[in-house]
Amino acid sequence: MQLNPSEISDLIKKRIENFDVNVEAHTEGTVVSVTDGIVKVHGLSEAMQGEMLEFPGESYGMALNLERDSVGVVMLGAYQHITEGDTVKCTGKILEVPVGEALLGRVVDALGSPIDGKGEIDTDQTSPVEKIAPGVIARQSVDQPIQLGLKSIDAMIPVGRGQRELIIGDRQTGKTAIAIDAIINQKGTGVKCIYVAIGQKRSSIANVVRKLEEHGAMDHTIIVSATASESAALQFIAPYTGCSMGEYFRDKGEDALIIYDDLTKQAWAYRQMSLLLRRPPGREAYPGDVFYIHSRLLERAARINVEEVEKLTNGKVKGKTGSLTALPIIETQGGDVSAFVPTNVISITDGQIFLESDLFNSGIRPAVNAGLSVSRVGGAAQTKIVKKLGGGTRLDLAQYRELAAFAQFASDLDESTRKQIERGQRVTELMKQNQYSPMSVAEMGISLHAANEGFLDDLEVDKVLDFEAALQSYMKSEHADLIKTINETGDYSKEIKKGIQSAIETFIKTSSW
Amino acid sequence: MSELATLARPYAEAVFKRAKETGSSQEWSESLAFLSTVMQDEELAEITNNPKVSEQQLVTLILDICKDQVKNEGINFIKLLVENSRLNLAPQIAELFESYKAEDEGYVDVDVITAYALTKAEEKSFAVSLKKKLNKAVNIKASVDNSLIGGFLVKAGDSVIDGSISGQLQQLAKRI
Repeated sequence: MQLNPSEISDLIKKRIENFDVNVEAHTEGTVVSVTDGIVKVHGLSEAMQGEMLEFPGESYGMALNLERDSVGVVMLGAYQHITEGDTVKCTGKILEVPVGEALLGRVVDALGSPIDGKGEIDTDQTSPVEKIAPGVIARQSVDQPIQLGLKSIDAMIPVGRGQRELIIGDRQTGKTAIAIDAIINQKGTGVKCIYVAIGQKRSSIANVVRKLEEHGAMDHTIIVSATASESAALQFIAPYTGCSMGEYFRDKGEDALIIYDDLTKQAWAYRQMSLLLRRPPGREAYPGDVFYIHSRLLERAARINVEEVEKLTNGKVKGKTGSLTALPIIETQGGDVSAFVPTNVISITDGQIFLESDLFNSGIRPAVNAGLSVSRVGGAAQTKIVKKLGGGTRLDLAQYRELAAFAQFASDLDESTRKQIERGQRVTELMKQNQYSPMSVAEMGISLHAANEGFLDDLEVDKVLDFEAALQSYMKSEHADLIKTINETGDYSKEIKKGIQSAIETFIKTSSW
Repeated sequence: MSELATLARPYAEAVFKRAKETGSSQEWSESLAFLSTVMQDEELAEITNNPKVSEQQLVTLILDICKDQVKNEGINFIKLLVENSRLNLAPQIAELFESYKAEDEGYVDVDVITAYALTKAEEKSFAVSLKKKLNKAVNIKASVDNSLIGGFLVKAGDSVIDGSISGQLQQLAKRI
């Protein structure tokens, strides 16, 4: 962007004109020691917990340890220029970040400043990063679905608006891929997405941004990035920053989806800060309040009722509920879900999507383990068609798993067992889905219907996906109106069922794949 | 610094309570101030940290220096500090003692820093307005600092009221 020199001087002139001279009163302290991003400050008797403190050279810190004679401050950003004896000022403000529509399509850091080179963010609204979650009265139960666009998840582990669904698995099992597909699938639904990258490589974040742009999903997405090279403090607050940005949409009666990728690294960053602040270490050297950092964060993902939205918008938005759905990601080590942080987050969330490297390596992608994955509230929010058809799928897979292990030893199987195993193999195959190709409710319904009604049973297992692809393109060209009705109503009425059934029958008779 | 304050606090509290009981806080204040100045002397610091100097020698030396300023209980206090090897805390103890005293007597020590020297009348008006603002009697200590360019800077403990031109310029710089 070319800046016009007169424009700048005009701007500055205006600011000088508007600058009202006032006497500034504040509380001061002096820096005693600087170690690894932790600054001890003497004085500051009126500092608040979590308050922003101003250091010389336009840098800021956050007061975390309030002691009798000193305050333990963690620096946000560079601290190399801070020396002993520097004066530190209280700002009287808890850390705040910009929020608003203007952030959509942007990549920002943990403090909400843009890092995508697209210029300033044009918003005057800010919101504190730490807020208390909505109260009991303000809430409404989860009863609307949010489609992630993945057959295996939407059919078996449905997620509702306002739910917290954990994505857990080892490295390289496709956790981020699910999250990105979920964001892509929100295109055109009005759901705003926030992707919070914590402790990741800059190259991976650039990749995510590129992929989202490619699929036209950046327009409804905010990316909050605290990369591995940024200070632990920034990695720690990044999820709260993203959450505040999501709450902005929730509180004005819209739906938002936030992805924390990943909370393990946030816990690591917090552990580092706590140990440097000399807080006593507990299990796995995490501080005592490592549960609380995640529970208070995830509790803010909620669905709020019409009255609350009306109250929060001063009556401007009427008759709308707001929701913030959270998909936190946790990385396990060697499939160990009983480590400290994974168990904590599992117990906080409303279910988990469990990804396994064995499944991933055997080509089942998304590598969802249907047996261990659950959704505790999503069932109430599923669309009728997926709910009716998904139930069968879940059952087929459960029976298949039970029999598959046992069938390895028996060569002679009775007819019904063999049938169940074959059905299971085909359903497992059908649950495979390529990355960046989320499906609509109707597409899912058609595939699931085909499986439930036994259309796949006569196929070779490795032909299932080809059959599905051909069927989908046939349906799209020949029965667009049926797809439209299903997508609009989400219903599985007699007519719809009959429509799908006859369409598939004609397809089988007429087409080849 | 802050750790030293933690160590000095019990001594300062004890001295202050004793001073209140005997009604001799002014004397204590003077002797602590003197002791603190003495302890900030570099040569003396070397001696106190020298392991070859015995406790007895150190006590004799300090008492010899302070004999005019320190009376009965003060002598005991110095002996106690030497015994616990906390003599180097004297400046912090004096500082904390002064703050307790100030709090007890209901006044605050206020530093008023101006670019140009204050007249008596101006100092008085400062005292009146600060008294209103802080709800406490004030004990003004005026000093001059040319780097402020103009205006004033008031410091009372941790809180600072910045009405100086340089402070305003900084605010303006931040805004732009």
